[in-house]
Amino acid sequence: MVETLLLVGIVASLFVGFNIGGSSTGITWGPSVGAGIVTKTTAAAIMTVFVFLGGITVGQEVMGTLSEDIITVDLTLSAGVAVLFFIGLGILVANIFGVPVPTSMTTVGAIAGLGLATGTLNYEMIAEIISWWVVTPIIGFWIGGIIGRYIYPWVNRRVDIKNSPGPLLSLDRQGTVPKPALGPNTTTQELATTVVVLIIGCYMAFSAGASNVPNAAAPLVGGDDGLEMTYAVLLATAAIGLGGFTIARRTMDSVGGELSDIPLLAALFVMVTASTITTTLSYMGIPISLVMSTVMTIVGIGWGRATRPVTFREAVTRDSDAQDREIELGAIVAEEQEGERAPAIGEEESEEVLNAADLFNPRAVIKYISMWIIGPSMSTLLAYGFFTLFPGIA
Amino acid sequence: MLSTILVPMDDSDQAGHALEYALENFPEADVTILHVVGVPSMMMGDAVSLTLEDDLSEAAAGRAESVFDRAHEIADERDREITTVVGIGHPARNILNRAEEYDTIVLGSHGEDRDRATHRFLVGNVAETVSKRSPVPVTVVR
Repeated sequence: MVETLLLVGIVASLFVGFNIGGSSTGITWGPSVGAGIVTKTTAAAIMTVFVFLGGITVGQEVMGTLSEDIITVDLTLSAGVAVLFFIGLGILVANIFGVPVPTSMTTVGAIAGLGLATGTLNYEMIAEIISWWVVTPIIGFWIGGIIGRYIYPWVNRRVDIKNSPGPLLSLDRQGTVPKPALGPNTTTQELATTVVVLIIGCYMAFSAGASNVPNAAAPLVGGDDGLEMTYAVLLATAAIGLGGFTIARRTMDSVGGELSDIPLLAALFVMVTASTITTTLSYMGIPISLVMSTVMTIVGIGWGRATRPVTFREAVTRDSDAQDREIELGAIVAEEQEGERAPAIGEEESEEVLNAADLFNPRAVIKYISMWIIGPSMSTLLAYGFFTLFPGIA
Repeated sequence: MLSTILVPMDDSDQAGHALEYALENFPEADVTILHVVGVPSMMMGDAVSLTLEDDLSEAAAGRAESVFDRAHEIADERDREITTVVGIGHPARNILNRAEEYDTIVLGSHGEDRDRATHRFLVGNVAETVSKRSPVPVTVVR
């Protein structure tokens, strides 16, 4: 019986890990693969190594939280297996309907649902986790905002003079054959860029391991019948690696492809910020979704950049359409003052002045953020319903 | 007599049908094509990369080029002139903000490959939203 249960759990864990491997490899390596700096196979190989390192070190803190701290009793194997099924269900929904379901939050949601149903929920812990979930996207958003408004333009200007992403792409496509058109100076910088991209990729892979290995591994560790921590981490790493080598080929194109619309320099800023947030919180034992910190930083950068001509205070306080219009006017004036060939309004219909703030109006951002909360909320409700109906499994 | 028509287009077949319908049924009207870029998506890649461009208007125009090329092809077949306008952000809001400048709006029922839940949640059905809220008559072409 226990062996069967463990076997079912291992299969569920492999499914979860496999899918995590697909999605996290996609966002970690999509930009670098898109820029032609690493191949998909190399990316998957590096991913596997650093996911393991992240899982076996920092990931332990998160595993402890998941299996011991969210509920007042230890997570049993049968409950763990049920929780894995809810995580798997979330992933299925994400795959089928194309909605974002942050895995780490779904996991916590499922365990919290179990705690609610059995009256073993550690409210203090869950309150702490949820407050971090509220604070983290805001932190990511603001850091992104500061990068987008002040740091990125500055760095972009300086880097652009010496080294554009263009030559890097064409050099890499040539493979080992040296391109005579590129001087030795460029080659050195190409090399430096490649090394930086690889290091940042490894860092993000490490944070993916720290935050995501526990989702596949922790539910199996619980109780006397469960796996040993190290075996569970190895199992999760193997599954994530498998996902990285197989389905990630597609996600590196789709999810990563959307990311590689963004200039590589901006993507690197996003990766460093998101990885730092994720690793720090994981070290504190707070389960956090790497994908969510990534997208919040991206949106923050876009928002910071889009609201450039507006003063900081105005950008924060604007909330109605009337104020929006005022800001739009302000933006037009600012652009006209800066640019020497601003088109006269009404001169030609197709040449109207576009306002980047339209891309990130507050209502759209709120709707966007709420999209990420639906998945975890659903998993809490479903797990609560399930464990209320079948209390024996807990 | 309807003299000005707004035809919002994306890269779907329906959008092409909408333009054909507008050109054929309103032979005297001035037709304006609106294409919206930087539409919200799961990773916001399109919108964010637009904001990072040095010249937003130029970048937006560049991204709209393929849709406008197709629109011009359709118009050329019928010896008609069209005007093109680029918008950014939310499609329905873009359309509605301009609606009053035109006598009517003609648009396709839905974009292609846009039935993904993320898109439906963030953008919704543009034709439905526009026909519900537009101050001018709307024709939805299937």
